[in-house]
Amino acid sequence: MARIELKNVEKAFGKVEVIKPLNLEIEDGEFVVFVGPSGCGKSTLLRLIAGLEDTTAGTIEIDGRDSTSMPPGKRGLAMVFQSYALYPHMTVRKNIAFPMRMAKIPRAEQKQRIESAAQVLNLTDYLDRRPGQLSGGQRQRVAIGRAIVREPSAFLFDEPLSNLDAALRVGMRMEITELHKRLETTMVYVTHDQVEAMTMADKIVVLHDGVIEQVGSPLELYNRPVNLFVAGFIGSPKMNIIDGGQAPGIDAYKIGIRPEHINISTESGLWEATVGVAEHLGSDTFFHARVDGMSDPITVRTDGSMQVNRGSTIYLSPDEQKIHRFDAQGIRID
Amino acid sequence: MIDNTSSFRVKKAFGVTIMLVLLFFAALPTVWVLIMSFREQAEIFEPIWESPLAVTLDNYRGIARSDFPKALLNSFICAGSSTLLAMIVGVPAGFALAKSRLSGKFYASWLLLLLRMAPPVGFVIPLFLLYVNAGLIDTYFGLIVAYMTLTLPLIVWSMWNSFAQVPDELIEAAIMDGATLGKAFLQVALPAARPGAVAAAILGFLIVWNDFFYALIITRSSTVTAPVAVMNFISYDSVDWGSIAVASIALTLPILPLMVIANRYIVQSLSGAVKG
Repeated sequence: MARIELKNVEKAFGKVEVIKPLNLEIEDGEFVVFVGPSGCGKSTLLRLIAGLEDTTAGTIEIDGRDSTSMPPGKRGLAMVFQSYALYPHMTVRKNIAFPMRMAKIPRAEQKQRIESAAQVLNLTDYLDRRPGQLSGGQRQRVAIGRAIVREPSAFLFDEPLSNLDAALRVGMRMEITELHKRLETTMVYVTHDQVEAMTMADKIVVLHDGVIEQVGSPLELYNRPVNLFVAGFIGSPKMNIIDGGQAPGIDAYKIGIRPEHINISTESGLWEATVGVAEHLGSDTFFHARVDGMSDPITVRTDGSMQVNRGSTIYLSPDEQKIHRFDAQGIRID
Repeated sequence: MIDNTSSFRVKKAFGVTIMLVLLFFAALPTVWVLIMSFREQAEIFEPIWESPLAVTLDNYRGIARSDFPKALLNSFICAGSSTLLAMIVGVPAGFALAKSRLSGKFYASWLLLLLRMAPPVGFVIPLFLLYVNAGLIDTYFGLIVAYMTLTLPLIVWSMWNSFAQVPDELIEAAIMDGATLGKAFLQVALPAARPGAVAAAILGFLIVWNDFFYALIITRSSTVTAPVAVMNFISYDSVDWGSIAVASIALTLPILPLMVIANRYIVQSLSGAVKG
């Protein structure tokens, strides 16, 4: 169990400031996801917590203890890497035993913990295989097993699912969430995939250029993005961002409206639009429609049953309650 | 899919023929030496079909009685020790160079390459003068240290490459798992780079085993290595070709099993087969 607190933490590689001074609190037992585009510093931030990188300034406290200059192995954290980082010359059993061997845990106890972890992760039949003989999903589970057995005070995940195929990713997402519910251990999870962030997190930290843009629950971020960056980043497909000048009647520098908050009608509405590409997903259909006077096409969601032909005219009316307004600095106006 | 078109078969036959011709040329000297080793001194340059039964083991008996076995032992001692010492120093050095974030790495690689490429003559003359003054001529210690100028750059260079192929995450995982840097090196990085380490050790051993030049300059009598000892069969008035043939075989045989064992490691390390 661990509460992690970052105070004015800063990281620079040479002259490049990767993490600008930031403060962050991760509560005990929380599932926190760092999300952001490539190069936003999310992995660096995780590695700072892990101790794999030294901070340039600031302090990192784990359970109230200053851990800023503590070696990684002593912080009581377990990490799961994107490439799984399994030891290729060791069997699954030895891989899982490795952290316990380093911690000099008695053999009998090691054996017992390996077996219970293997059972939880469906690895019992694979304990004597080498990582090279396992599938991607199995390797991922071994990596998680290796993290579980040492009973860490927090788990750190660095994009653990990005090497898996789409179907497996959804499955592993559920497994990790389940694991969190059962262990109730703090988990810090890095991903660039906002769907993973939305589905797994108790708390999402959106990072951009080494700065925390917003911290909040998935729905807070979805319903009340504090700025244009978060508005555009959270939600799939993306929120429609429209210049205020191109949307008369809605008083703001820029406005944002999610595809699911626009009503479609074939008879009347606020904006007259021409249908472009339609994406049929079965449950939903997304239309890309052009409105005269707007530079970008508007994305609209309808249920899967609506049939509209390319080139036909439809009328769009944004739901007044769901419009997000932003000022010239891109900050949310309420 | 097996390609059975006639043009492919012609190409294949052509390729096989070329390989057989090359193999014949490569094997010919070896076969010749083998035959020579069983021939009497008088018949050694006679065509074999004129006296096919003039076979003798005298050359082998002669070698067994000579100083050559001791020279072989010297070769073993020198090649083994200089490789072992260079591994003890060079493997951690390669690890450090591959994984540290030092900024001077470019210069280190430049220097290493220079040491690898420089002709041995460049080292031997200053080394000789130094050794004469220090009394290291014809000593094991002197010879082994001299050979390390060959093995150490080779091993550091190739281990640098081998460790560079071991993913950083593997070492970071070990460190997160509570391993010290030393344990991460010995228990994770080194086993992952094992094919490269075996290949480096064998190549180092072979360089020293086959060396003639250093031994010629630095040894006198008690530490003479096998390649230099072969020269003793050449005197002012005659050349003992039969003994030279036996000595050549004795020099080649020990490295044969080594090559067989090493073969797969060298191929593995050259093709960089370290994957998580």
